Amino acid sequence: MFPPITLEILVLALGFILLLAESFSQSTSKRSLAKSAVFCLAWIFALSFFVTSAPANPEPGSFWNFYSADPVSMVFKRIALLTTMAVLVMALEYEKVLAKNIPSAREGAGTGEFFILPLFTCSGLMLLASAVDLVMAFAALELVTISFYVMVAYMRGSHASLEAGVKYLILGALSTGFFVYGITWIFGLTGETHFTKIALKLASLQGSDTAILFALVLVLVGLGFKVAAVPFQSWVPDVYQGAPTPVTAFLSVGSKAAGFLLLLRVLEPFLGVASIAHKILLVLSVLAGATLIFGNLAALPQNNLKRLLAYSSVGHAGYLLMAVACVGVAPSALGSVGATVGFYLFAYLLMTLLSFLVLTIATQHTKGEEIQHFNGLSKRSPFLAFALLVAMSSLAGVPLTAGFYGKFLVFAQAVNASQWTLIALGTVTVGAGFYFYLRVVAAMYWAEPADASPIQVSGLSKMIIVLLVAGIFVFGVNPKPVLSAFQTQQTPLASAH
Amino acid sequence: METSLPWIILLSPLASAVLILLFAHRSKPLSVLLSLTAVFAAFGSTLLLFSSHSVVQTSATWIDLGPALHLTIGLKIDALTRVMLLVVTGIGALVHVYSTVYMAEDDGKARFFGSLSLFMFSMLGIVLADNLAMMFIFWELVGVSSFLLIGHWFTKPSAAKAANKAFLANRVGDFGFMSGILLVWAATGSVEFAGIQENLAKLTVNPSLLTLAGLCLFCGAVGKSAQVPLHVWLPDAMEGPTPVSALIHAATMVAAGVYMLARIFFILEPSPVALGVIAAVGAVTAVLAALMATQQDDIKRILAYSTLSQLGLMVAGIGVGAWGASMFHLFTHAFFKALLFLGSGAVIHALHHEQNIWKMGGLRRTMPKTFITFVIGTLALTGTPGLAGFFSKDAILLAAWHKSAFIFGAALFTSLLTAYYMTRLVVVAFFGEAWTPNAKHGHDCPPAMTVPLMILAVLSVISGYKFFAGSIFGEELFHSVHAAEHVSLVPILAVSVFSIGTAGAWFLYNGRSKDPVKIPLFRNKFYIDELYASLIAGTQDLLASFSSWFDHFILDGVIVRGISGLTWGVGYTLRLLQFSNLQGYAFLFGTGVVILFYMLIK
Amino acid sequence: MFLLCFMKSDYLPILLQVLVAIGFACSALLVSLLLGKATRRNATKDTAYECGMIADEGPQPRFSVKFYLVAMLFILFDLEIVFMYPWAVIYKDAILEYGASIFWSMFSFVGILTLGYVYAVKKGALDWKS
Repeated sequence: MFPPITLEILVLALGFILLLAESFSQSTSKRSLAKSAVFCLAWIFALSFFVTSAPANPEPGSFWNFYSADPVSMVFKRIALLTTMAVLVMALEYEKVLAKNIPSAREGAGTGEFFILPLFTCSGLMLLASAVDLVMAFAALELVTISFYVMVAYMRGSHASLEAGVKYLILGALSTGFFVYGITWIFGLTGETHFTKIALKLASLQGSDTAILFALVLVLVGLGFKVAAVPFQSWVPDVYQGAPTPVTAFLSVGSKAAGFLLLLRVLEPFLGVASIAHKILLVLSVLAGATLIFGNLAALPQNNLKRLLAYSSVGHAGYLLMAVACVGVAPSALGSVGATVGFYLFAYLLMTLLSFLVLTIATQHTKGEEIQHFNGLSKRSPFLAFALLVAMSSLAGVPLTAGFYGKFLVFAQAVNASQWTLIALGTVTVGAGFYFYLRVVAAMYWAEPADASPIQVSGLSKMIIVLLVAGIFVFGVNPKPVLSAFQTQQTPLASAH
Repeated sequence: METSLPWIILLSPLASAVLILLFAHRSKPLSVLLSLTAVFAAFGSTLLLFSSHSVVQTSATWIDLGPALHLTIGLKIDALTRVMLLVVTGIGALVHVYSTVYMAEDDGKARFFGSLSLFMFSMLGIVLADNLAMMFIFWELVGVSSFLLIGHWFTKPSAAKAANKAFLANRVGDFGFMSGILLVWAATGSVEFAGIQENLAKLTVNPSLLTLAGLCLFCGAVGKSAQVPLHVWLPDAMEGPTPVSALIHAATMVAAGVYMLARIFFILEPSPVALGVIAAVGAVTAVLAALMATQQDDIKRILAYSTLSQLGLMVAGIGVGAWGASMFHLFTHAFFKALLFLGSGAVIHALHHEQNIWKMGGLRRTMPKTFITFVIGTLALTGTPGLAGFFSKDAILLAAWHKSAFIFGAALFTSLLTAYYMTRLVVVAFFGEAWTPNAKHGHDCPPAMTVPLMILAVLSVISGYKFFAGSIFGEELFHSVHAAEHVSLVPILAVSVFSIGTAGAWFLYNGRSKDPVKIPLFRNKFYIDELYASLIAGTQDLLASFSSWFDHFILDGVIVRGISGLTWGVGYTLRLLQFSNLQGYAFLFGTGVVILFYMLIK
Repeated sequence: MFLLCFMKSDYLPILLQVLVAIGFACSALLVSLLLGKATRRNATKDTAYECGMIADEGPQPRFSVKFYLVAMLFILFDLEIVFMYPWAVIYKDAILEYGASIFWSMFSFVGILTLGYVYAVKKGALDWKS
């Protein structure tokens, strides 16, 4: 048994060690880096079951004032570890494309860091899951974001990747600026950075609400960017399309999860202020509605699968925001909003990783990412086609998949909170979603392939795909284990009301 | 042990189905082996269950949505369940053995056994379910596996059509069944049988709702047990392989409706209207189907109509409140009807897929084993004193006698017709001369086919006696079988109509090579199929022209084009926001910030 | 209403000044447009005449990309010092009581930077020739 912070330290240390090993080694093949990283992460994952729990009442001044390790944050840590492992496997599949797009004297040179940077993102995500202090949360969030800046622009031979990198960097820096400004406002108002203490101070604050709202807007802007909420979503399609595919997958899963986790934590103190709670919910509903409409409708005319998934990522942010916009009410029979968001993120993670993994493997043989390039995939590789079918069905929300249950929970929360407008919008956009997700399925199964050569899948990827598919079905039929993992303790939001 | 046995019974066919359909479908012998292992495991476990007569209940939570809806996967074993389990696994085991030979030459043998295992799983699920929701799920699964088995020879258009017909007719009934479940759930707040029984008072306070719920639930039985007006699918279902007809469309699946009614009898009991409707539907089905059977030429169709008619009798029995008697008749009927079907299968197999009885004849000499067992089955079905059918039919007749003259009359008339058409079948097919050269080459089938026949023949004789049925039903349940007071006139009447029917048919048909009686109305099944076809066609034409207009101008033109155009338009417009220009994005971002500020601080 | 509000609080001079500024800018543009006939242009008019030399390269000379790299590394390591000054000043008084933890905190920070330095050297970031 050892303190939970050991996990983050181990991941960081692993990153440093691999970084140095890479710079000292003479070998041109970098695959062993990724493989050893996956192996070590698996060990760290196993270790995560043997950590001590956080003290109930930490001494003032101790580290526990910045960092907590309740069961929910442990679940998030484990999810971060598993996601990183999947992304690394994806990166292995992507290695050839990567090497082609990095001009260098020796083949394979300069690809090594691509397998190491995810580790830093991972440790950032893990720290974020435990952060109970704004400073800690901000530092963790930046660790995640900065490593993403590098990874997005990693293919320096590709214009799209560089363009994506610049856009992400500039807009990301802009949003970070707003977020920090918001934090300083909060600190100015309350003199605290710890979430619980902020909540106490805010609730008893005298005077105008304007200053509080000002702080809230700034924070919402910063986090709205991270979760890709309309109108801060403009970076998403270009960045997702331009970035290397494994990074896109990581971005859509990791960045989104981090954003929503922090959003829930930051919103809690503000919702404690009775006079502004209804305004907050209104703004959240408007954001959710706009995000739903934009994400799902703008996806309709897309022909590029990667870009389609980018819009779909915005659309799913809409459903998640829809759940967040229901925080005002007491926990329903289905559990708190926190658990709903947690389950939805988990389901989204499974299906997004699955679609991007298939995309990564398939595009190396299809010579393109347009939907038409996937024509007749079922004849070339029934395995991949079936996996993508499952992913698309789950994204669209076909019953018995995890995606369906996630949507079901979100709608149940909305019904509980009587958010009828959002429910109507959600229903319409689910319909639109069916159209554009199943277009991909139609292309795979009913169109004739231009090139009928079969596609081989490596053993490791095959294993991950099987696990993801199984996960989608298992947690779609029996969502209980995941739900109860997020419900073991009162989540921050549930305890506020 | 007690709690794990039901799970073994339920899950071993599932395991076999999954293994066969996913992995073993390339190897016929392996599929057969898996399927046989599963069915014998289930049968063996069932026998073990009889070691004690206690009620076993085991469950696992499936969906827990708080107090509003708590669904469990629960298995319940009581006396009723034990009887059904024995029928399903016992006859199932015999049919499996029989099929190994019957389907030997078939290319789809592995698929056949996979579907058969799937059917066993679904049927056992219905029998074991302790709540209506689970029962409904297995009910649908049974529908699916029945669809697969009827359409086993899916390359034959008639088989494919029959499979569709069965599925659709069942869907109609299932819709009612589902509405009934929802009504009961809405009223009592539970779908578990125990829970409903506890809260039944909430339902009985509103008699019209109770009646409605009862009738809706009955709809499910109408579909599955092929009662009028949804009976049309069962005769067509004979397109499936004969062992399937024996197992599914005679002994078990079609009996599921009757079993379900017996299971929920406590809901029906307080509503005399619902019971009246059930009795009437059963009686009408019994008589109509028997009349149709008198003029059929296809050996399997005669048996199919006979099944319809007997099921009608059981439903009528439920309607007059004698659910114990109905279950008893279900029990005995399962044995002799399975026997008759398997016997007919042996004939068909021997005569190279000849099903017309007028092209058989004289088979008693060439197929003696089949002949003897078939005759035993016939005697049991027609109600010969001393054989199983006599006892069980007598129980229903007695109950009807006390309740309603109309039902009693209908049941008696059905018995007369049953004796008549079954004797006609036996006389034409087995007596006389071989009417075609094909029929001369009849021969008894291999032991894997004849041994099940013999076992069933023995059971057809003894299953009506108390020493056998009583030990299976258990003391309490067997008592309810003979709840009605004994009236000696009833068996006398039953025996006399049996004698009249048998003698009449004997004299009419002995030695004939052509049917001397021609009643087109009966032969054409009262034109019900045609009526449906023209009704559906007529309504369809009318509806079609209207909906074509509606579809063209309103749906397609205004709504679909309009909405899809609108969404696409919005999509395209929204896409224009992504103009790939960083400054523009930053500008949008800033606008967003301003809007947020405006919304929150104004 | 709007103006009154401003007058009340003696903002009138500022308002006037803003108006004058806008007015001057507008009138200057207008006058130059009218007098200068800026729309009528030809090649001769656009040449540099008596007011400069014809440029033979872009306004900014090209620097080697290595300058940027070194500059960025400099900023990174410079930040270390920026962080260490306040650290030293603030913990001057607490050093006796919490000496060990204060030391190790800074040590880990410098340690990570050192790793970065080693990495940069191994990757040849400071190698001017290649």
